[in-house]
Amino acid sequence: MDLGDILHYKWRKPIAATTTAPAQSSSTKIEDSGMKVGGIRFYMSYMAKDRAALAGLAIIVAFLGWALIEWVAQEIATLTGHPEYAWALLPSNPIALNFNEKLLPPSLNQFPTLLLGTNYQGQSLLSRVLFAAPHDAIASITIVGGAILIGMFLGTAAGYFGGWLDELIMRLTDAFLSLPALVLAITVSVILGASGTSGFFAVLVALSIVWWPTYARFFRAQALSIRNAAYVESSKLSGSGSLRILVRHIIPNSIDPVVAYATLDLGTVILTYAALAFLGIGIDVNYPEWGADSSLGLSFFPAAWWWAIMPGIVITIVVIAFTLVGDRLQDLIVGRMTY
Amino acid sequence: MKTVVEELPVVSIEKLSVSYSTVYGTVRALNQVSLSIAPGDSIAIVGESGCGKSTLGHSIVRLLPPNSSYDSGRVFLEGQDVITLNRSQVSQMRGKLAFMIFQDPLNSLNPVKRVDTQLLEAIRMKNKYDGKPFVEEEAYKEAEAKLSDVRMPDPEKIMTRYPHQLSGGQIQRVVIAMGLLMQPKLLIADEPTSALDVTIQAQVLKLLKELQTTYRMSIIFITHDINLAYAVSDRMVVMYAGEIVESGPTVNLISHALHPYSQALIKSIPKITKREGRLSAIAGSPPNMLYPPTGCRFNPRCPFVMDVCRTKSPVTIDKEGESVRCFLYGGADS
Amino acid sequence: MVSSIAFYIARRAINAVVTIVFLIFILFLMIHIVLPNPLSLARIYALSPHASLGVLQGIVKQYGLANPWPVQFASYLTNLLSGNLGMDTQYHIPEIQVIGRYIPITLELVIIGQILGVLVGLYTGGIAASNRNHPIDYGTKAVYLTTWSAPVFVIAFIVQLIFAFWLGLLPSSGVVDPTLPAPAATTGVPVIDSLLAGNLPYFWSLTQHLVLPALTLAIVSFGLVTRISRASMIDALDKDYVKLAYMKGLSKRQVVWGTAFRNSLIPIITLVALIFAFSAGGAVIIEDVFFYHGAGWFTVNAIYNFDYPAILAFTIIIGFSVVIANLVADLLYAAADPRVRLT
Repeated sequence: MDLGDILHYKWRKPIAATTTAPAQSSSTKIEDSGMKVGGIRFYMSYMAKDRAALAGLAIIVAFLGWALIEWVAQEIATLTGHPEYAWALLPSNPIALNFNEKLLPPSLNQFPTLLLGTNYQGQSLLSRVLFAAPHDAIASITIVGGAILIGMFLGTAAGYFGGWLDELIMRLTDAFLSLPALVLAITVSVILGASGTSGFFAVLVALSIVWWPTYARFFRAQALSIRNAAYVESSKLSGSGSLRILVRHIIPNSIDPVVAYATLDLGTVILTYAALAFLGIGIDVNYPEWGADSSLGLSFFPAAWWWAIMPGIVITIVVIAFTLVGDRLQDLIVGRMTY
Repeated sequence: MKTVVEELPVVSIEKLSVSYSTVYGTVRALNQVSLSIAPGDSIAIVGESGCGKSTLGHSIVRLLPPNSSYDSGRVFLEGQDVITLNRSQVSQMRGKLAFMIFQDPLNSLNPVKRVDTQLLEAIRMKNKYDGKPFVEEEAYKEAEAKLSDVRMPDPEKIMTRYPHQLSGGQIQRVVIAMGLLMQPKLLIADEPTSALDVTIQAQVLKLLKELQTTYRMSIIFITHDINLAYAVSDRMVVMYAGEIVESGPTVNLISHALHPYSQALIKSIPKITKREGRLSAIAGSPPNMLYPPTGCRFNPRCPFVMDVCRTKSPVTIDKEGESVRCFLYGGADS
Repeated sequence: MVSSIAFYIARRAINAVVTIVFLIFILFLMIHIVLPNPLSLARIYALSPHASLGVLQGIVKQYGLANPWPVQFASYLTNLLSGNLGMDTQYHIPEIQVIGRYIPITLELVIIGQILGVLVGLYTGGIAASNRNHPIDYGTKAVYLTTWSAPVFVIAFIVQLIFAFWLGLLPSSGVVDPTLPAPAATTGVPVIDSLLAGNLPYFWSLTQHLVLPALTLAIVSFGLVTRISRASMIDALDKDYVKLAYMKGLSKRQVVWGTAFRNSLIPIITLVALIFAFSAGGAVIIEDVFFYHGAGWFTVNAIYNFDYPAILAFTIIIGFSVVIANLVADLLYAAADPRVRLT
């Protein structure tokens, strides 16, 4: 093991995996040097070295920040009965009809209202996109968060306890993962619709059901490799019960790779959510949705091409941001690309 | 450090500095390293993990990873300036002049190709660079013969096997056979026995030693284990934190090492008897290669440290075929 | 040695069967959890969304929806496995006939688009990995980042806009020119049928209409394949046997494509099913945008028409295909990696 192996830095290598060769984990050397590896500051400085990821981070912050602000504004509007508060911060009213300005192409006039053009009802696409942002942010955070929780519970149990529980959960995840996310989401949403549950909530439930198996697999893999680690053995020897071991050792050490993947997933969820909205699932006629707006533009395609394409471009930019940051994190944590 | 040699040295490294840019910063892996190897020489490069010995080996044959850079200095292989070669010249240099054996047998051979395919490929390349035609039957026989040369039982059977069907020691022998087929002037062995059992280790080392005299190859044997170095090499080079701190004939170095680090290294070899049971270790921790100590890189751990060691980097001092890089032997007043 | 491969195949096949059964069970479970009583269940099989109580009760009797659920599951399973996917609520004929008509059309699209995307993706990933930190690597990253992050419908729109509307090179929608007479349906796959019948104008029209949707699908899966290929190649290029190949004097091209690439393919094979599933999802949207009358388009329509049997049938067929794709990948993996073939 030599300097060359710092390049192949593997995060938290299980101790059992070391060979007879002097294959010490090179982490001891870097930690000895006094540089703190891990932690928020380290991640931030690592991010800063890749300008693209930094830009992505900025976009994410802007997106989530804006979604929060707009969501609060919309909640206030509903609670106080003053709907105009919901679009007070927007360039223009996204749901009022304004046929004088229908189907205007994107331009720099009346900045920033016409930046993305208008639709048939004369509504500024930019305003509609901004108005609909909270839904996508809420969807991605709740779905990924929910998937992590469910996956953590089931996956860690499967990996740690093994046996029939493991087999059962593995078969379950296999079955779920043999369906494309979109197809399964459609099916679940439609079935929920048949029982009377529809709209935003139904889509959240449907996508959570679709998303948890990947995380269950992750946590299971981590649990499998960590449960053989020496510190878990010594914990057992000193009498810790299973629950204690799970909570104190296995779960905290499983989080790192999950975080990186989850960041990527925040973007992927938005893509699937938008695809569902495009097909008309989970939308409310009065509420703009990124994917749904694109679909509405289909009837005026290709003449008013901006209607169909602009919301999609906004989605692309947001997802690129999540993917850049998530990729960078994943490279660091998996250790594949340390430069 | 240059020793006086009658013929052109196989390898001549002059004040080489190499660095890697990593996520943690720039690692200065080699700092002003100079080394000369004569034909037929066997040199052991000894040092702890991270001292740069592997980097030194890789830098001779341009096998460094994409994030590395040759900051300064020159490397000559049989008189050719290695650093300035273009891609096809590099391939030719490797094919004709040098070969390298690696540490972990598990990944040393291509897992999806059979042994005979891989050995024949070596012969094909060798013939290509020599300008000779490739005749498959002859080549096959030649490959089998080399497998016997490296003391493989049942060479015909081994030829048809896949790497995962061989043991670690067998794989290393196949790699050595491949090296012999290439007939290099220089063989670099990067910790070739670290992942093997002790008994197999001894066999492989013995093999290397024999082959070196038979084929008159120069061998660079990179290891962290001084005992192995002693067994295999005529000359030894001790590296610390990317610098060569001492070099000289192995027997001399082992019996009276000059540099404090070499001394500590040799002292730390366990020689426990029933009566005295203390292990001696080197105080302090290995250096941070991102921000190495100023002055002499060993100064935080040196039992003989002087003030000048903390500020100035020592120069290499040659003394009758040995050399050492330490202010204890001079150079402090320049 | 032969028997170890036989065991391997047998194990994977049993795996596949178990997964399919689980898949059907999950769907069954979901339906029954969401629609707990027989009457609401009947709504799914009702041939119209506004069925009266009497009709619903009739359906309950006919399909045995009031039976205990293990019985229901057993009959559901046997039905599915014998090809009975229920009655379509839009067309009032057996589901399998309806969706069976559309599936070959989707297959044409998915197979061609997928192959194109995978081939280009593998090559691009290899080039990116062997030229790290080079402008080529950054350029490739930018391209696959954008194609991966763009929603499928945006890519479809842009492709349609550029090639069909602005450049006018290819038709913008449909499967084939409706004015042309169709060939006899011998295999059910239009491309093959038209070739067999020697009906070249029809074949040509089919091909023209196939290009843009397949191109979109290729772009969609290209991003994913390139990412996977690049990562796998980087792993392979780091290995000692690659350095050994260089030491034999092989050129960079020989080492990258001769030695490393072959090894990088092995882990990629295990992801084939993932790529396939990804494309299948994308095909639904692509067929919608291009009005390409395949199974995906049919399913989207089924959503609007509350045609539940169609949606369920589509889901089951897709799930089934992915499991089969997985099994095929397992076999390919055994063929490609001697470590599996010969223990």
